[in-house]
Order: sequence, then structure tokens, then C-alpha cells
Amino acid sequence: MESNDQRTPTSQGPEAQAAATPKPGRRRLLVAGIASGALVAIGSVVALVRTSGYDVPPQRARAFESLDAAQYVFVQHAARRIAAPDRDGDGAIPSPDDTDVAGFVDAYVAKMHPTVRRDLFRLFAYVEHIAPLRSGLRHRFTSLGPADQDRVLAALEAADEGLLRGGFEGLKALVFMGYYRDPRTWSILGYDGPTLKAPL
Amino acid sequence: MTRPAATALGSMTKGRDLVRDVTLDVDAVVVGTGAGGSIAARELARAGLSVVALEEGGHHTSLEFNQREEQMLPMLFQEGGGRSTSDLAIRILQGRGVGGSTVHNTNLCKRTPDQILELWSARYGVTGASPKEMLASFEAIERDLSVTEIPASMRNANNDALRRGIETLGWRGAPMKHNRVGCMQSGFCELGCAYNAKENALKIVIPQAVGSGAQVYADTRALRILVEGGRAVGVQAVASDADGRPVAMVNVRARAVVLGASAVGSAMLALASGLDDPHAQIGKGLRIHPGAVVAGRFDEPILAHKGIPQSYECTEHLSFEEGSDRRIWIIPAFAHPIGTASSFPGFGAPHMRAMRDYTRYSVLTAMLHDETSGEVSAGSDGRPVIRYDMTEADRSQLAKGLVACARILFAAGAKEVTIPAIPPVRLTRARDLDSLDTRFVRPHSIPMTAVHPMGTMRMGDDPRTSVVSSQGAHHSVKGLFVADGSLFPTSLGGPPQISIYAFALHLAPHVIDYVRRSL
Repeated sequence: MESNDQRTPTSQGPEAQAAATPKPGRRRLLVAGIASGALVAIGSVVALVRTSGYDVPPQRARAFESLDAAQYVFVQHAARRIAAPDRDGDGAIPSPDDTDVAGFVDAYVAKMHPTVRRDLFRLFAYVEHIAPLRSGLRHRFTSLGPADQDRVLAALEAADEGLLRGGFEGLKALVFMGYYRDPRTWSILGYDGPTLKAPL
Repeated sequence: MTRPAATALGSMTKGRDLVRDVTLDVDAVVVGTGAGGSIAARELARAGLSVVALEEGGHHTSLEFNQREEQMLPMLFQEGGGRSTSDLAIRILQGRGVGGSTVHNTNLCKRTPDQILELWSARYGVTGASPKEMLASFEAIERDLSVTEIPASMRNANNDALRRGIETLGWRGAPMKHNRVGCMQSGFCELGCAYNAKENALKIVIPQAVGSGAQVYADTRALRILVEGGRAVGVQAVASDADGRPVAMVNVRARAVVLGASAVGSAMLALASGLDDPHAQIGKGLRIHPGAVVAGRFDEPILAHKGIPQSYECTEHLSFEEGSDRRIWIIPAFAHPIGTASSFPGFGAPHMRAMRDYTRYSVLTAMLHDETSGEVSAGSDGRPVIRYDMTEADRSQLAKGLVACARILFAAGAKEVTIPAIPPVRLTRARDLDSLDTRFVRPHSIPMTAVHPMGTMRMGDDPRTSVVSSQGAHHSVKGLFVADGSLFPTSLGGPPQISIYAFALHLAPHVIDYVRRSL
């Protein structure tokens, strides 16, 4: 198993890794929880005033089940980084756009409990508008280049605030559900798929 | 108002099909149709009582189980598989639908350990549930569900890696028993069995209940327990369509109410109903068996996604004394692509490179026989709020468990072992484990999953420390009983389904006796 190894030098000993890992006490967890909740809430407020510049084909926009244009474009960008290919130019690897991850997320989120959906949208807004600022970047997530987008996502994955880490894991799970549901991705894994031919 | 005759044939009604409100008057209403609720409904119906069982989720059969994660997760799991502790640190997988978690579980069958039953008697005031007194219930359930040991010939390479590793280390382990007949070894157990080979509540017990006269209402969520004069007199519920939109009210008047909606659902319903709870015990004492995984990469294909997922166990680090420093149960764990991708650390190109070794991983999980006391409460939006602040002792146990998993994988021949922390810990030599500082093992720094909620309406004879009596009867609300994992005063340290089935069977005569006396 391998991960974003540029952030995880294998030469780093376990002790150093442990030392580098936050060890929050109850109070810190509480403060972090409140802080991350507040940040996500701020993100949702900012999103209300910064929703221009998200271009989605009208036919697609008319078919939205849960997302709006800004959220749809955000998911597209996040998916392109979270499910980025490991081999540039390898035509055998479908892109997240090929597998319509954002369209899948739109339909999936529509069936979520309204509270969960609301929290998820707040997370989207937080990652789009606030998280880049916390990484020292002055543009919204969807206006950043791939390397900077990776930087924002990596910071989110390792955030001190547990709720943000949890939020990232939720976003990641949605993206991978949208990506690896597609049989075209299974050859990457050597996965031969279900034993039954006909899906519902 | 409809009052069916006790001898009437039972029925299965999909709440989504209702076009008007329903009012029923029966002897007993059971909330939930998993291991506990299904047995309660069956036993009451077999005793000649009129029974209605309410199930929040749908009634799905093997014909619908199509082995696709993105479709089965929303169909078979609470909150689409996204339920978690309130701090998002621990994912909690619970079933939703007729059959409850028995539809998606991996069929592990273990009786409640004798030491646990004795502990409950000595320490928690549980009476009438000694190993000797429970024996008949365990034996009956195992017969009902055709429980047998999985033979070595049906052990896949992931489970065999566990066996090989613990034998090399000289540790304790054994094959496991399951409730499956006609298993095709497709490996899709966690998504419901498309071959209908699970001898579970959905296939066996609920049809028996319906055959004995029980009426089951799927898609029907209990909103509150009706209490009049200190006595439970029914349940108010709402039926919803496939998209969750309410379509009809289902009002059930009953002489007894039996909760079998899980340690989360039963407690939440009790709390939402404002039950008398003078010692504030409802929802407290939650145990969940939190677990985390370790992956070993082998040179040869393991194909862990194929075959029976969990057929061998390691109990070397598991004992049942309270406060023990050996509270880890180790079993194989593997997932299909979406589950695997979600649990692998990182993202992007390195993540995809890791996924390319999908077929060469053996994965083990260290599951904690936990002593942390969590809490379930009812959220204002109708969802449960699950608080679980892992103690340092439990955290330390889990860390030891992950190290033990890594040792097993190396002993089995893994070339690289990864603990999927953030950042991940990758090791290529077993001796590196000797100096591994495991303080990084904690919620939010390592993905944790729990599949066994227990203990939020604990049984015991002291109302100050328990919610129901040793007969499953609420201490102060007459006619209210519990028949699910909520009953357990402590963690079990192993798969709970047989314990839940057996306790529901063991306690059913008390419900029957109560109803007959109240007629």
C-alpha cells in the first residue's frame, strides 16, 4: 500500500511520525471541533456571495438532482485530484470525468438525509473558499492548478481539526464510489467484478 | 381499527405501498426485524399472540442483491453506510431493512463467552443467564440457522494467511463457524447474498414469523412508544416511499412493545419517546467493538475479495476479564474496490499506484473488546447522535492489536506491511515493530470502523445501573421489553449475532407471559 509518499518519507522513523501526529486532549478536541465547525459555517456564508464563474452545460444543469453549478464544478475538480491517474497519458485509465463522478455524486447526495446533505455542502464551500486561504493560496479551489489543489487536499486530510479530517474522508469516499463503480476502472486493480451480469 | 385473529396467516406489507393510514390492535408490536426483533416476532407469533413487526428499511430479497457497492450501500445500510460517531472519527456500519444487519454481515457465529455471562452475573446483576441457563437457547438458534464450521477447503487465501501467520508465531487461532448453506463463495457477503445462502433473519426467521401469523411492515419507522399510565400501549410509526417521503401513519395499539431496533435504534426510540428514566441510563454504556486494519502486500496474488471473507480468527490477544490488557480479536477484513479505495490512505496518483496491488493484499482487522462507554442520544433531525470518546486504555489496546496484525502478516510472508494512518506507516521488516511508537493510533489519525453497537439499554436487576430487568422488561414502564444488543452490559469481544438471537429467544417467554397475564 502506498500513499501520497511525498508527504510520508519512508526514511522517517515511526517515532518521528508519532511525534508529528497531533495528540489532542479533550479540550483541544472540543476547541478544534468548534473551530472547524465555525470555519465550515464561514465557508457556507462565503459561498453565498461567490457563486459566479461556474460554467456547466445548460442540459446538465437542468438535470441536477441536488447540486448547483458551483458544487458540481467543485466536485469535478476535487475528483480530478482525488482520483488522479498514476500514469500520465495512459488511455486505459478512465478519468473522473469519463466516469462522471460529479454526476454520480449529484444523484447520490440527493438521497442523503437533509442534515447530512447540508453539512456536506458546507464542507464543499469550505474547501472551495476557505481551505485554500489556510494553505496560503489566494484563489478558490477550482481556480487553482493541480499542484495547489493537491496541497489544499493534503492539508485537509491531515488537518488538526478532526471534523475536517472526517469531512475529507467523506468527500474522498464519495469520489471513489463514483469512480470505482465504473467497470472501466476495474482493470487498474485486477478486479474481475461481480459474478452476476445484470445490475438492477 | 383492525384486530387480526391470532390464527390469521401473517403478512409482509411494504409501507411504501400504503395509500392511507393504518391502525392496528394486536397483542405485541416489535420494533426492528434484525436478529433480535425477528426472533421476538417469531416466538410471540408461535405462542399464538397477534404480532406486528415494524421495520424502518425496505424488504429486499436476494434477487435484488446485485453485488454493486454503490447500489447496495444505500439499500442495506443505515444512512447509506455513512453513519458515524458525532466527531466523524469512527464509521458505524449498521443494517437497515428486513433482516437488519444479518443481511450484510459475514455470518460469523460465536456464542456469548462463558466468562462474559459469568461477569454479567457477578458484576452487573444479571440473573437467569448463566452459561448453563443460556445453553438451550444457543443450541436452538444454531440449529435454526444451520451453524457449522467452515472447512479448510473453503478458506480463501486471505484467511489462510492469517492461519499461517499465527501458526508460525505459535499463537492461538481457530476456524470459525458460520450460518450459511449452499455458499457459492462469491465473496460478496457484505453486500447481501445474491445466492440466498445466508441462513439469517431475512431468509429463515422472518418467514417463520410470518408463517406463524406475524404481520411485518417494512418501510415503516417507529416514531415513538405510546405510554399510558406507566404502561406501554403501542407504537406510532410512519411509512415512507422509496425516497423517504411519508405516505401513511401506522398506529399500533398493543399490550406489549418489544424493542429490537439495535443498540442505536432502540435507545434512540426510547429517548425520543421520553420514557421514564430516573437514573438517566437509556443510551448510556454504548460499546461498538471499534476496529482498524493493517494491510500486508504479498508477492503472490491473494485475491482477498474472493471466497468467504472471514473464516478464521486469532484469539491470542483476547481475554474477557474486565480491565484486561488482552482485549483484541483479530480476523481478516477485506472489501471490494470502493471500500478498499476509501480506506487506503491518501489520494491521487500514489493512491492509484497502491490500488494496483489490490489483488496482492492480505488485510487483517484488530477489533477491540472495548471498555469505553459511549452514548446514543436522539438528534433533533431524527438521526442518532453517537458519542464515543475512546479511553487511553482502549486506544493502547487497539495499538497493540495493530502491531499484532502486522506481526501475523510478516509471519505469513508479507513483503510490506502498511498501517493506514495519516501519514501511513509502512514497514518492510517485522523487527521494526519492536520499536514502533504507536501513539499515532487514535481516532482521526487512523480510519476506524465499528459494526457491533451494543449496550445502551442494559439488563440487570438494579434500576440505578440498568434499563431493563434480567427478563428484558423495562424497570418502570410496564409492557416494554428489549430484545436486541442493547441488552448487553459489556462488550462481547466477538461477533454478536448469535448472542442477540439467543437472548431474544431466551427472553421471549417473559413477554409471552406478560401478554397472557394482561389479557
